[in-house]
Amino acid sequence: MKKILSFTVLIALMVSLLSACSSEDDTSASASDKKVVVGAKNFTEQFVLSKILAIYLKENGFEVEEKNNMASQVVRQALENKQVDLYWEYTGTSLVNYNKLDPLSDSVEAYEKVKEVDKENGLVWLDQSPLNNTYTLMMREEKAKELGIESISDLAAYLNDGNKLSLGADAEFATRPDGIKGVEKAYGFKFGSSNIKKMDVGLFYQALRDGQVDVATGFSTDSRIKAFNLVNLVDDKNFFPAYNAGITIHEKTLEKYPELEELLKPLAEKINTETMTDLNYQVDIEEKSETEVARTWLTENGLIEE
Amino acid sequence: MKNKRFVSFVIKLILFTLVGSFFAWSFKSGYYQLIMDDAEGFIFLLKQHINMVLLSSLLAILLAIPMGILVTRPKFQKLQWLFMNTANLGQTIPSLAILALAMTWMGIGFKPAVFALFLYSLLPILRNTVAGIKSIDPDLLDAAKGIGYTPAQILLKIELPNAAYPIMAGIRTAVVINIGTAALAYLVGGGGLGDWIFTGIMMRDNSYLLSGAIPVTLLALLADQLIRFIEKLVISKGLRQTVTVSD
Repeated sequence: MKKILSFTVLIALMVSLLSACSSEDDTSASASDKKVVVGAKNFTEQFVLSKILAIYLKENGFEVEEKNNMASQVVRQALENKQVDLYWEYTGTSLVNYNKLDPLSDSVEAYEKVKEVDKENGLVWLDQSPLNNTYTLMMREEKAKELGIESISDLAAYLNDGNKLSLGADAEFATRPDGIKGVEKAYGFKFGSSNIKKMDVGLFYQALRDGQVDVATGFSTDSRIKAFNLVNLVDDKNFFPAYNAGITIHEKTLEKYPELEELLKPLAEKINTETMTDLNYQVDIEEKSETEVARTWLTENGLIEE
Repeated sequence: MKNKRFVSFVIKLILFTLVGSFFAWSFKSGYYQLIMDDAEGFIFLLKQHINMVLLSSLLAILLAIPMGILVTRPKFQKLQWLFMNTANLGQTIPSLAILALAMTWMGIGFKPAVFALFLYSLLPILRNTVAGIKSIDPDLLDAAKGIGYTPAQILLKIELPNAAYPIMAGIRTAVVINIGTAALAYLVGGGGLGDWIFTGIMMRDNSYLLSGAIPVTLLALLADQLIRFIEKLVISKGLRQTVTVSD
């Protein structure tokens, strides 16, 4: 008898709790109290991007809760479960990691594809930005100028003339078919296995700066590209998959605040790869705070008032 | 006695069958196909690996043996603890940390890898040299002095031949450890078969992992046997018998 009683009490308690939750939902739906949760992954670029998003939304009358520093899979899961309302995602990551599809090198194609497949997951991609944090081949600026190499095609031509250059890469990129082997195939040249120096992830920036290698792989918005006077070689055959950033938002959130689509457009338009590299540089190398960097960028672009 | 022999024979047999079936299984699964498919790459990495081990071991032998002799001379005996402790201390630093430290002022590639391996090989050789020389029966040295040997003669004719076995054992330990540790050279761009081992780990690809790891293991076994053979050439017959008993 006692058991049944306590059980009923428990049920009653849970029901009242649940109704309390839903009633809270009702109040937040009223226009006077707009509330969103902004998520971010665990690296500098994501911190800056989410700060920009958070400050911008705050200035536009939203109450913003920030959830930073999540692993890629975690933040995505949080969005699907609506613990996070919106965050910046990359098209390539969504295609390959979350949807298990082949990477696409064309930005527009990749964007259309993720928009389509993620719709089935209840997620909406707002406008994509020109910011493309993809793989890149880098050279020292002076060396590239000296040899007249601006694109990967130039590099291929230079090597095919019988010259030799060494490449620094990590074991994964050096071996994956969509890594250096794919590049060699697409552009029709070969570094040769003795000229490929494999090392731990991220060391190749330093190796390139110090002249231990002539070319290195990297990520296109890494702040060290600017700090070490390196240049990204133009991927003129569009070999590397597109990793364009775009804001992903839960469809329920967008239904609740349809104005977000228009509101966030300028953010996506104005952040490109060069801007991002610069913003990363300000945080990583100049050691400014993400908030400061985000706020300055927003005011400079006339998106918020000082 | 016979029983003991039988048991050890059975254990050996089981182990060999296990190793054999592992090889058969991995061959059948095509895990060594890579060595055939990319023979050029394999030879290149193997050469890099051997070069790294040879150079670092050689440097360590050239430094550690004279150092061991030096600190056992009466004049320098007081310094012995200093040398030994320094070498001991070096050994306690994790090999990865040595690599990272070497990298900061030697850059990336072959050089820091060789340097780290060299530091790692020093201690076993130094320790065994010192222990070997110290373990010689003092009566033997007294007798040598008594028949008028100069200190140089004592070193070359009595001390070194008598200490040859422990010294060689030290070298063997150093080289075998060195071959395994050299796989870490990948991390600083030093090359070697570690490239394939780490590729295998990163890509979860057993054919890379085994095509890198098994040759490293075989290389270590081969080096061990080779140095045992050299041991036989170096250690004089009269001494060998006494040491084989204690082996």
